[in-house]
Amino acid sequence: MANSENMIICRCEEVTYGQLRTTVDKHKCTARELKLRTRAGMGFCGGRTCRPTLDRVLDSFIPNFSPSEIPLKYQPPIRPVSFGRIGEIHD
Amino acid sequence: MNDVIVIGCGPAGLSGAIACVTYGLKVTIMDEFMKPGGRLLGQLHQEPTGDWWNGIKVSEQLYQQALNLGVNIRCGVSVYNLEKEDQMWKVYTSIGTFEAPFLLLATGAAEYPIPVPGWTLPGVMSIGAAQVMTNVHRVQIGKKGIIIGANILSFAILKELQLAGITVNHVVLPEKNAFSQNAGVPEEVMKSLLNAAHLAPSPLLRFGSSFMKNNWIRKMGLTFYPKKGMKVNGTPLLLRKAAVEIIGEDQVEGVRVIDIDINGNPIPGTESTYEVDFVCIAGGLYPLAELASVAGCPFQFIPELGGHVPHHSESMETPLPGLFVAGNITGIESGKIAIAQGTIAGLSIVKHARKGNNSIDNQLQQAIQNVHSVRKQAIIKFNPDIELGRSKMNELWESLYVKNETPGKMTG
Ligand SMILES: Cc1cc2nc3c(=O)[nH]c(=O)nc-3n(C[C@H](O)[C@H](O)[C@H](O)COP(=O)(O)OP(=O)(O)OC[C@H]3O[C@@H](n4cnc5c(N)ncnc54)[C@H](O)[C@@H]3O)c2cc1C
Repeated sequence: MANSENMIICRCEEVTYGQLRTTVDKHKCTARELKLRTRAGMGFCGGRTCRPTLDRVLDSFIPNFSPSEIPLKYQPPIRPVSFGRIGEIHD
Repeated sequence: MNDVIVIGCGPAGLSGAIACVTYGLKVTIMDEFMKPGGRLLGQLHQEPTGDWWNGIKVSEQLYQQALNLGVNIRCGVSVYNLEKEDQMWKVYTSIGTFEAPFLLLATGAAEYPIPVPGWTLPGVMSIGAAQVMTNVHRVQIGKKGIIIGANILSFAILKELQLAGITVNHVVLPEKNAFSQNAGVPEEVMKSLLNAAHLAPSPLLRFGSSFMKNNWIRKMGLTFYPKKGMKVNGTPLLLRKAAVEIIGEDQVEGVRVIDIDINGNPIPGTESTYEVDFVCIAGGLYPLAELASVAGCPFQFIPELGGHVPHHSESMETPLPGLFVAGNITGIESGKIAIAQGTIAGLSIVKHARKGNNSIDNQLQQAIQNVHSVRKQAIIKFNPDIELGRSKMNELWESLYVKNETPGKMTG
């Protein structure tokens, strides 16, 4: 791929394809570790934009696909939410 | 107190709520968008009969019906977590926490992004964003543009952009790579497009359908595919060109493309640039099932359904008691099917809440049959092998959750 090294994969944290690739080369890491090291998918949107791309990139570096598991685990909160909201009760 | 909380006010959520409230259940629908209707709001297409499918009208009808029956509808509310406590589902939202014994997840679908160098420039958007801006917000997305990605959704939305008077100069493929996968392989694209011939009324594609399903003929068709493309309602579809980079200083100014062979490999020395002021990337759809995942529901990857889907039965129940699903969260299909699936889920909830009379089983069966017949007549098929995907999930459900003590089936 031409020009792909500088291509942004995770927009919120501005992580490029090149950064993901060098991190994998250097640390031979798992998908989760790669995410923690680069912060890809951990920005404001919670991976809403880049998650499927990240899944595909990771699988192309570290083939580890299991049909019964979602590659990168979803963690609550799945939407941005203020601290003030957490814990209130309405009904 | 709610009996049922429905998350998602699209066709599936609305019809599910209508079925529940009809049997006296108290229902609240929550949706994070500011208007009810979900993805229906962007839909506008003409059926072969000549009738128009106007999503805004359909959603208005469903919405009014639900309101009249007493469904409480809250728009602009995001759900960020789900938990089960003492037989009750706790629904955590941007306006506080709510509880109900039954939940219906009807959160729909999201788009697969396909990153292309330069895709963060202003003026680049997903094809779904172009649809929402054009048909919901009525904002002109640009003067001349290009669509990267040839699939049913991009054709349907291309037509909508044309109806709105927006010029799309070309449809090209994404470059073949780990992100685009089959979307960058002309042969694969052609195969999937043959099922959308009615949306792409061009000679080759129409002539195709049955004929072009033959491997050899398809290869020939692609090998001799005209360089200038085949027109789709006036916009050339360039199956043998791929976008390699989006260029521009502060906003999109153009797209660099290269010729590709029928397997998607670039042909060196064939690069050129198209001048455009907007770019739509169409990567296809996947079920948006994040809430099912945080609730702890098991998943299965079924490509025919669009990706990872929560385990569910034909009656739209999940293995988690009180948790039901309907619509695109269970697999990518058109709006009509989402409506029919919502009814199943609603009736299923009525049955579990012991509200229906003796005819509820019967009605549930009819609703299931109805989905089958709506599917048979569906004009928009996002995946030609949808039936196979559905039966994979049904078999999985039978094998995991239906206790069926046939001696021959026991394993030791
Ligand atoms: C971009 C795009 C374009 C499409 N175009 C077409 C088309 O032209 N023709 C066609 O037949 N089909 C189209 N579809 C397929 C479409 O998904 C179905 O037609 C149908 O709308 C699915 O209905 P649904 O009720 O399952 O989901 P949707 O109609 O998508 O409704 C789901 C609702 O859930 C809400 N939601 C999701 N998560 C949360 C949350 N955490 N908290 C609160 N609310 C939430 C969303 O805001 C949304 O309103 C399109 C889908 C997409 C994504």
